Amino acid sequence: MGPTNDILTGVRILAFTTGYAGPFAGRLLASYGAEVIKVESKKGGLDTFRHYGQHQDIDAAPRFIECNLGVRSLALNLKHPIGARLIRELAGKSDAVLQNFRPRVLDKLGLGDEDLRKSNPKLVIVKLPGFGTEGPKSSYGTWGFNLTAFSGITYLWNHPEQDRPIGSQGVYPDHLGFVMGPTMMVAALLHSRRSGKGVTIDIAQIEGTAAVLGTTYLESSVNGDDPKPKGNHYARAAPHGCYRCQGEERWCVISVRDDAEWRSFCRVIGREELVSDRRFANLAARLAHRSDLDAIVQQWTQAQTAETVMTKCQSAGVPAGVVQTGADLLKDAQLRHRNYFSPFTDSLIGPFEIPRSGFLFRRMNEEPLKLPNRFGADNERILGELLGYDKATIEQWRKGEVLT
Amino acid sequence: MIDTTNATSLLSGYRVLDLSSSMGAFCGKFLRDLGMDVIKVEPPRGDACRTEPPFAKGHANREGSLRFAYLNAGKRSVTLDITKDIGRKLLLDLVAHADVVLETFEPGYLAAHNLSYDALLDKQSKLILVSLTGFGQDGPYAHYKTTDIVGNAMGGLLFISGDPSMTPCNPPETQSYYYASLFASYGVMLALWQRETRGIGAWIDTSIQASMALHEHVAFNYSAEGRVMKRAGSQHQHNAPANLFQCKNGWIALFVSQNHWPILLKVWDDHDPALDDPKWLNSNLRRQHADYINARVTSFTMRYLKEDFAEMMQKNGIPGLPVNSPSDFMKDPHIEARGFFSPVTHPVLGTFQQPGNCFMVDGKRTGPSPAPLLGQHNDEVYRGELGLSTDELTTLAAEGAI
Repeated sequence: MGPTNDILTGVRILAFTTGYAGPFAGRLLASYGAEVIKVESKKGGLDTFRHYGQHQDIDAAPRFIECNLGVRSLALNLKHPIGARLIRELAGKSDAVLQNFRPRVLDKLGLGDEDLRKSNPKLVIVKLPGFGTEGPKSSYGTWGFNLTAFSGITYLWNHPEQDRPIGSQGVYPDHLGFVMGPTMMVAALLHSRRSGKGVTIDIAQIEGTAAVLGTTYLESSVNGDDPKPKGNHYARAAPHGCYRCQGEERWCVISVRDDAEWRSFCRVIGREELVSDRRFANLAARLAHRSDLDAIVQQWTQAQTAETVMTKCQSAGVPAGVVQTGADLLKDAQLRHRNYFSPFTDSLIGPFEIPRSGFLFRRMNEEPLKLPNRFGADNERILGELLGYDKATIEQWRKGEVLT
Repeated sequence: MIDTTNATSLLSGYRVLDLSSSMGAFCGKFLRDLGMDVIKVEPPRGDACRTEPPFAKGHANREGSLRFAYLNAGKRSVTLDITKDIGRKLLLDLVAHADVVLETFEPGYLAAHNLSYDALLDKQSKLILVSLTGFGQDGPYAHYKTTDIVGNAMGGLLFISGDPSMTPCNPPETQSYYYASLFASYGVMLALWQRETRGIGAWIDTSIQASMALHEHVAFNYSAEGRVMKRAGSQHQHNAPANLFQCKNGWIALFVSQNHWPILLKVWDDHDPALDDPKWLNSNLRRQHADYINARVTSFTMRYLKEDFAEMMQKNGIPGLPVNSPSDFMKDPHIEARGFFSPVTHPVLGTFQQPGNCFMVDGKRTGPSPAPLLGQHNDEVYRGELGLSTDELTTLAAEGAI
């Protein structure tokens, strides 16, 4: 029995979050033991994901549940002067604030950085604004989808020589933000613990996104080129790509990086004569004859299942992988081995399993993930036990539209 | 203009030994950006990342890889052959003075060289070892070979990426490496917090596949709703217009929600009156008729430059943004005003624009630093910090260990 992974036990974080990146950042902090108190209000301050989908019950939107696992809920009207005052008091009992509202929304409510630090100079504040707090476009509305486009990733996420951009339906910037957010949060908490001073961290999601395209920007600034989409090509491997396999929409990727892998691959596909084929004599030759090569690979892959292709290649030391669907992931032997999915047998949306994290701590015990607390479920505990208000006062606020 | 001087360094004083290949290099970079001293420990012939494209024109050599230049910015470089006994001993000396060791070797490789986690702990009892591999340290696929596209495939992102009429399309650069590297960085932060509060080290087992499988609700949608997500280009699953639309000089990424729809119609004064039917307020219905809706919206966007259309949308609260090329992005006035890029000077590559930190501390940004030359800091680290003598260094060099 090692220690448990609730490493952040004792850390209290106030979360003003909505949508995907901010809430999920809170989930990842709560997953490791932080007490994350999400502040929302039915008076125009509900997380937009509570309305995502067809559900009438604001606690039963699947996407809200997915992004807010383990998070507590304080229903509090920030536009009411008492609501804002209670947050300032709560800041005095907390370690950090996490927020992804548009710039200056909280400032206008009397909840700016300095307002909050009055009761707690050590308070850490982490913000995830789309375009940053400063700059000519800081008021712009952003979304993971359009940030991807703005960064250059959408343009590059395409096969070569296409007449239009393709990009992705996804929101990659949110995914980057929800890991960078907690990383910066704990880094700032470590700093605050050491220095005794609070810090404010701004992660403009557009810059978090640009951080994963740095090599390309260097290509542009060093070489003066404007890099073009490369699709599944890679200048250091051939064959390299995504190949159709037996069955509908079944694919396997294969990367052959060097001569040793090439020889293994030729054996795997039963074409050892190709080893001495001059068109494929070395990497440069294989790259030059890429289309011949792809045809040969495709001919082999399409006659068998994607799983067989992967297993045969990997057994011979050639990088390959099934292009897995959601259904494949749930039954993936490796992910199962890692106890990757946290199961929920009883929830407002029925049973489900959900991915935990990209890493695990070896020799430590993993705590199971928890459902989000229902809207407002923590009101009495927070205002009573934490801030010391009596039941009558809390009841009065509930009636007076402070706690809603 | 944003102040790029004197930004608070959050984690200065911590030291990382970065033994990683390009798989984990972005983790080392992020830790460096957080202020940690990151020493890249390279084999004497150089990290394999130094041989990876793209290269600076005229510099197809080990100092010319732009991938290396970006992913190792600000790190120090020492050379060391850890497969030699003398090199292994020197690594253990380095470990004694380090807080974090980052590695991307095949599972079991370090143990096979008498550098297991326990052997490292003997030198530094609170050490944080962060391992990053395709599938994790054990399990049926632990010894599977990984490349970026394998990570994206096995993690579920590739299947939903690209146009439905074409082959699934890998994103640019090596996103599965970067994404796993970010998770690894978070693991390091948690482990440091644990070390401060519980007084123990940790071994973080990062998996590229597991990192990618958190993407885009792919696993959750199937588990909770039995829904298999498929490729749809840039078309959003539940909404329209939510796609890329053609303008005079390029494309715009537009997402028009339920609340935005009436605003769009107001801005678009000569729209087809059929669109005024209140039934179109329903996003799901618009999505079901995406071809119909998108064709009409395109007739509107086609009249504008992408920048002008974006500006017009944003003035009305609709989150449109142009589809930029990388150089469009670098020249954008907002990005320029924020000082995201600054010039760095590299002894071989010259002076060029490079991204600084992607976050600010108290409103200030730390600007970029150049990547190290191979073994640039051997003397500084081995002689200056470990106190090795000239003779010892000569012996190490003679044995090919540095």
